[in-house]
Amino acid sequence: MDSLERDIDAWMKQLAAIDHTPRLPDPNSLWVKAKLLQSTAAMERASRPLTRFQIAAYLIVAGGWAALVTWKWSALQAWINSFTPAHIIMGAAGAQTAQSLSLTLLMALIALGSVTVMLAFHTILAEE
Amino acid sequence: MGYGADAIALSPPFALRAATFGRTPKRPMDEAKFEAFYRKTARPLWSYIFRMTGNSATADDLLQKTFFRFIRSNPAIVNEDHLRHYVFKTATNLVFDHFREIKRRREHVFEAPVVSSSHDDLRHDMMRAFAELKPQERALLWLAHVEGSSHEEIADALGVKTKSVKVMLFRARKRLAVILTRYGFART
Repeated sequence: MDSLERDIDAWMKQLAAIDHTPRLPDPNSLWVKAKLLQSTAAMERASRPLTRFQIAAYLIVAGGWAALVTWKWSALQAWINSFTPAHIIMGAAGAQTAQSLSLTLLMALIALGSVTVMLAFHTILAEE
Repeated sequence: MGYGADAIALSPPFALRAATFGRTPKRPMDEAKFEAFYRKTARPLWSYIFRMTGNSATADDLLQKTFFRFIRSNPAIVNEDHLRHYVFKTATNLVFDHFREIKRRREHVFEAPVVSSSHDDLRHDMMRAFAELKPQERALLWLAHVEGSSHEEIADALGVKTKSVKVMLFRARKRLAVILTRYGFART
């Protein structure tokens, strides 16, 4: 050890000896906090694929509705208009007024509606 | 005056089990063992972080973060010196991250001790003199002279080559000697 090293060593030890009394956190609470953080992180990691799947499902359902409404707008509009009171009364009187939907469109509407309801329930239950 | 924000590039924190011990842990640390280790290590670690940052609130915060990372790494009790080296390395990384953050925000944080007597005055001057060094130099000198770390341990903590540590230490000592002369700390 040369003289410079010796002097610096002595000075550093003097610096280290300066009394600063820290208020150190309790090790037990630190341990509990760390474990909580660890389990929260693990839960987040585990639920990440589910969240991704949920987002993909939202996008698919929204896209499905948009596509259906865009392509079959005129048929849907005519079908919705057939539910006015005047049409219903005329229909009850035996007149052929109600517009009918094609079976494919009806099935598509039912399928998309069911998926939307299921997704909504899943979101609500998952939140709770 | 702020503690220098001229941070250095460090290697990211590494997995304790893989890099420090190179094998799978056999006895993971439980709460009681952690408490014993914490009681031995927390105070010197806090002193190191405090001397590096010059701010007691930052030291408190970084100390907690260091131990959170330590627990998360699920350390095995193989060798207490290795564990101690690991927490000092983690703290060093966090301190340098803190300096980068300060630099990014262009903040200057320095908590000057309250001066009320000649003894406090001396302490204040010692802290100020040490604060004039670059963060890397402070870490080098503290780890070498106070913690008694080997060149390999210092190199690992600072993310530099082992061969460079000797030269870096020599330069840091010379710089500190110049600063100390300026502050009137006579060499014995």
